[in-house]
Amino acid sequence: MGKMFDFKLIFKDLPQLLSCLHITLLIVVSATVIGLILGIVLALFRLYKIPILSQLATIYISFNRGTPMIVQLFIVYFGLPSVLLIIGIDINRWDKLYFVIITYGLNAAAFMSEIIRASILSVDFGQTEAAYSVGMTRLQTFSRIVAPQSLLIALPNLGTSFLGLLQDTSLAFTIGIIDVMGKAKAIGATTYHSIEAYIAAAIIFLVLGTLLEKGFILIEKRVEYKKVSLKL
Amino acid sequence: MEFDFNFMIVALKAAIKFTPVSLVLAFVPLVIGIILGTFVAITRVYKVKVLCKLSQIYVVIIKGIPVSLILLIMYFGLIQGFDVIAELFHWTIRSKDIDLIYVAIIGLSIYAIATISEIIRGGLMSVDEGQYEASYSVGMSKTQTLSRIILPQIFPVVVPMLCSSLIGLFKGSSVAFLISVTDVMNGALITATGNYLFLEAYVAAAIVYWVICIIFERVSYILEKHLKQYGKGVAL
Repeated sequence: MGKMFDFKLIFKDLPQLLSCLHITLLIVVSATVIGLILGIVLALFRLYKIPILSQLATIYISFNRGTPMIVQLFIVYFGLPSVLLIIGIDINRWDKLYFVIITYGLNAAAFMSEIIRASILSVDFGQTEAAYSVGMTRLQTFSRIVAPQSLLIALPNLGTSFLGLLQDTSLAFTIGIIDVMGKAKAIGATTYHSIEAYIAAAIIFLVLGTLLEKGFILIEKRVEYKKVSLKL
Repeated sequence: MEFDFNFMIVALKAAIKFTPVSLVLAFVPLVIGIILGTFVAITRVYKVKVLCKLSQIYVVIIKGIPVSLILLIMYFGLIQGFDVIAELFHWTIRSKDIDLIYVAIIGLSIYAIATISEIIRGGLMSVDEGQYEASYSVGMSKTQTLSRIILPQIFPVVVPMLCSSLIGLFKGSSVAFLISVTDVMNGALITATGNYLFLEAYVAAAIVYWVICIIFERVSYILEKHLKQYGKGVAL
């Protein structure tokens, strides 16, 4: 407390924070994978209006969209072990990282299922009819005709949601994960120079976010090119 | 560990008591964001010298940093830096005298300005170029064009997005618990500090957030429908 702001410390903290970057990336990537798989399943429940499952999916998505990430994180952290204990699985000794990945994955699933649903709905119904009329089955129609087209539409939004996930990981440190934020907090606690450490973390998030955004724009441009060539 | 339903009701009551704090943390940044965000968006659309570049840098930086980091940087900036400045200018207030809710409001406003300015910029760009030209050709000034022709038109485009940004801010306000502001989340948690029934407290907080977000969504839906009608009327 009361120590002056030291500009040089930011650069001293940066390498230390970067050494924990892989945890942040691990959370984001594994949550995206879980989110995509579960999101597709949820979206299909709602699209094909499967009774009960469709309503459950709606409630699940509404809950995930309507409550803050941090509340969900703690509910999974405190609640999941007791729920799983009922069916006889003891996960109390699990690493905290798994809880974080599960929470972010579950959360991402809700948001991604909405993106996927919207993109599937945006494919013209005539495409499905045409596929049926040439004798394709439902599964063939979906996997060969509808899915590839909707993927192109969903891609930009999935990129945005990936970036949002990256920013959300900044909350994982609240349950004691040593990712970039957790490391920044630890540095702050030992040196009393919290603000420098947090600014260094902000720089990492900013640079990483900007790079990813640029990457997504590149992918989008390629996809755009593909879309045009499909039409020709 | 059994789920203590009765305690959840206790936590729920405590959480509801602190709902106004969370609502203030969402609405004040929203209003500040709309006012200053419009200003930032206009400087970017009209390409005002220097200001245009500055606002672009501001938006890129703030959008790239998580809200929790903005709040933490401000909080530690306050306790590390404010006392030094206060001593320098012989102010009588010290950092511990400042209510942390102001820090949270300012932090969330900084974030809101960046996101809302992007929404309004999108709205301004969606208005046809011809509208600007037409109003210039009847002799309107830039300010008149904006306030009489352009801004009324971007309403139907912008309002639904502002509503979702309000929901985002309301959910984002939960991050204020990191700097120990007593909002819905902390209000529920305080009741659990004695008996360690954290799960019940978090579920209670989740219920409050969920219900309020659903209300926001409903209102947004009604507003959107209403504005769509209005938009149609204009086109005729």
